[in-house]
Amino acid sequence: MRSILHVSLSKTFRPNPGNKLEFSLCFLFFFQDSDIQKKIDYEIRMREGACKLLAACSQRDQALEASKSLLTCNARIMAYMSELQRMKEAQVMQRVARRSSDAGPMDDRSPCKGKVAISDLRIPLMWKDTEYFKNKGELHRCAVFCLLQLGGEIFDTDMVMVDRTLTDICFDNTIVFNEAGPGFELRVELYSCCSEEDYSAGSTPRKLASKLSSSLGRSAGKKMRAALEPGACSPTSNGGGATILLPVPSAPGPKYHLLAHTTLNVSHVQDSFRTHDLTITGNEECSYWLPLYGGVCCRLAAQPHCMTEQMMSGCLRVKLGGEPQGWTNVYGVLKGTNLFCYHQKEDKEANVEPVLTIGINKETRIRAAEKDPHSKAQNICITNQYGGEEVTHTLAADSREERQRWMEAFWQQFYDMSQWRQCCDNLMKIELPSPRKPAIVTPKQGSLYHEMGECVQTPFYTFTEAVAEFEALDQGCPTLLLAIDCPANVSPCFRQAWSPDASSSSGRFRPRTLSLDAKLSTLRGRGYSGFRCNCQPPTASSVSPRPAQTALSCSSSTSSSSSSEGSNSQESDLGFSRPSGARRSLRNLRAKLDPRNWLQSQV
Amino acid sequence: MSFIPGQPVSTVVQRIEIHKLRDGDNVILGFSIGGGIDQDPSQNPFSEDKTDKGIYVTRVSKGGPAEVAGLRMGDRIMQVNGWDMTMVTHDQARKKLTKKNEDVVRLLVTRKTLEDAVRQSMMQH
Repeated sequence: MRSILHVSLSKTFRPNPGNKLEFSLCFLFFFQDSDIQKKIDYEIRMREGACKLLAACSQRDQALEASKSLLTCNARIMAYMSELQRMKEAQVMQRVARRSSDAGPMDDRSPCKGKVAISDLRIPLMWKDTEYFKNKGELHRCAVFCLLQLGGEIFDTDMVMVDRTLTDICFDNTIVFNEAGPGFELRVELYSCCSEEDYSAGSTPRKLASKLSSSLGRSAGKKMRAALEPGACSPTSNGGGATILLPVPSAPGPKYHLLAHTTLNVSHVQDSFRTHDLTITGNEECSYWLPLYGGVCCRLAAQPHCMTEQMMSGCLRVKLGGEPQGWTNVYGVLKGTNLFCYHQKEDKEANVEPVLTIGINKETRIRAAEKDPHSKAQNICITNQYGGEEVTHTLAADSREERQRWMEAFWQQFYDMSQWRQCCDNLMKIELPSPRKPAIVTPKQGSLYHEMGECVQTPFYTFTEAVAEFEALDQGCPTLLLAIDCPANVSPCFRQAWSPDASSSSGRFRPRTLSLDAKLSTLRGRGYSGFRCNCQPPTASSVSPRPAQTALSCSSSTSSSSSSEGSNSQESDLGFSRPSGARRSLRNLRAKLDPRNWLQSQV
Repeated sequence: MSFIPGQPVSTVVQRIEIHKLRDGDNVILGFSIGGGIDQDPSQNPFSEDKTDKGIYVTRVSKGGPAEVAGLRMGDRIMQVNGWDMTMVTHDQARKKLTKKNEDVVRLLVTRKTLEDAVRQSMMQH
């Protein structure tokens, strides 16, 4: 009786996802899949909690977080409902099809699923340089986060506050989607919310909309207003250009707007970082606008199950050596791009090396050999190209069914590889998101030069020593290491740098100029080990052996001075060495072109 | 030393004559400069006015020619051998100071203490 109900409903009353009322009515009837239903219930409870929190909280940060949770819950609810609907439709289709014709050969293979992980999301920003240097005036800040959806799973990243001191929006989260098929579509959406305005007042476009609506005449204006309302478009279909979000007209508090989105699929998967284009919605007039460069850089990795799991295992006989009669019993395991043949089954658990490893990849050819009817052998021939030479391994299964199972497994493996393409070349590493380790020195997500600003009032130091050390390392000798901790160790460092026993004068290295950002981060990683000054004369390969000095001028920025050597106080001679002209000019250029630097030059 | 862009700057200056120190091929004056119209003035620790894009002395090597001549850290350089330093880029300033064929640079520098000293002495009269 229930099936009749389904069929009739599907014919006469097709649920229209755009109409929420119809949609939810449908699901009062379709109460079948309790698993998804439980998830929906859970999300609804979360949503209620978020609404309450939003109404109750007074602090802006809390409100932003609560609003973000609210949106994520809404998105998940919509996704689950869509999935339910799809499942129902599929069921109905199947039943209708089954009744009409006999079940045809269910021949079509389905590819294996896999894990897809996206991490290290970084979205570069493109501020105008007038924005960069503007120190006066209020900072236009936006709260942003990313919503990632694959199939029915939706995850959100942490929220990040962005203002003009940031050059990139970085999300540290690693998000892993389990059970993704090779035809997956990973939708990345960037939401932003202006962090300054009064929450109830509404954003500029709305003001504009109200102006327009009042001037255009009532009905036209109302339509215009509806069109301008952010997020008012039909929300369900994923990948159809619509947002994942539900419009939430009644919730108070800060509202996030879609700023940019992109969709990634298996062709974007790579074991290293890649930049993808972003489609930017919104324009400069919106309050939530941020000047995006237009790309997003991330690492999208995939681990199909055919690479990580054992797809097939069993006993086989293989011909080892050249002898035609030499069959060896092995335990074969098909995993990833290899067929491992172990001496016995226990060897696999014991991590003993396999007796034989046969590559199974795109180039492999596998043939079920039809031997002569005299022998009962059920042979499988696997041919590979090893460096231009064809090598064929012959394996035998115990029975025809066994051989059929193996062939089936090989075909499935080939099919999976053809579907997952480059993901099956090598196993990609996916790091599971671990609980946050306390960083040794965490530069807050702001700009380095703002932190350096603390040094301003104190006498200077520079990082030339770090540069010098770097240089010396290049030349293979550990020399002067100066880690600067500002502002606490200000004066001791200063004094020590000038102290005669610094013996830096005996160092004969060339302090060269380098971009200091990289060095700064390694210094930070070492946790500001304080001042150490043990230097040795460098190798003779240095350009001009001159008594070097410890340079001293600190910049209030991470500047790499164009020629930043200093001179030693206690030395009477003030020789120094300048790096070779060409390299110096290149580095000079790089340093000079960096707008964050406040250059200092020695004359 | 506040300045209004476009208006001439008038300030008390001190003349400083630095004799360059030659060491083979290398010639130095013994100080470092920062600033310039192409630099971010807000990062200048010496300027009173954080929009001041002038050339400042950020470091003076002890015992070097500059220190001997009386240059001090925090001085703002107004002129070098007659060349104006109030509206130059960082690199232009460096070049004017490091001309190879010149052995002496005559600077006009100013610092806050100079103005204060003059004002004090004026008030006393």
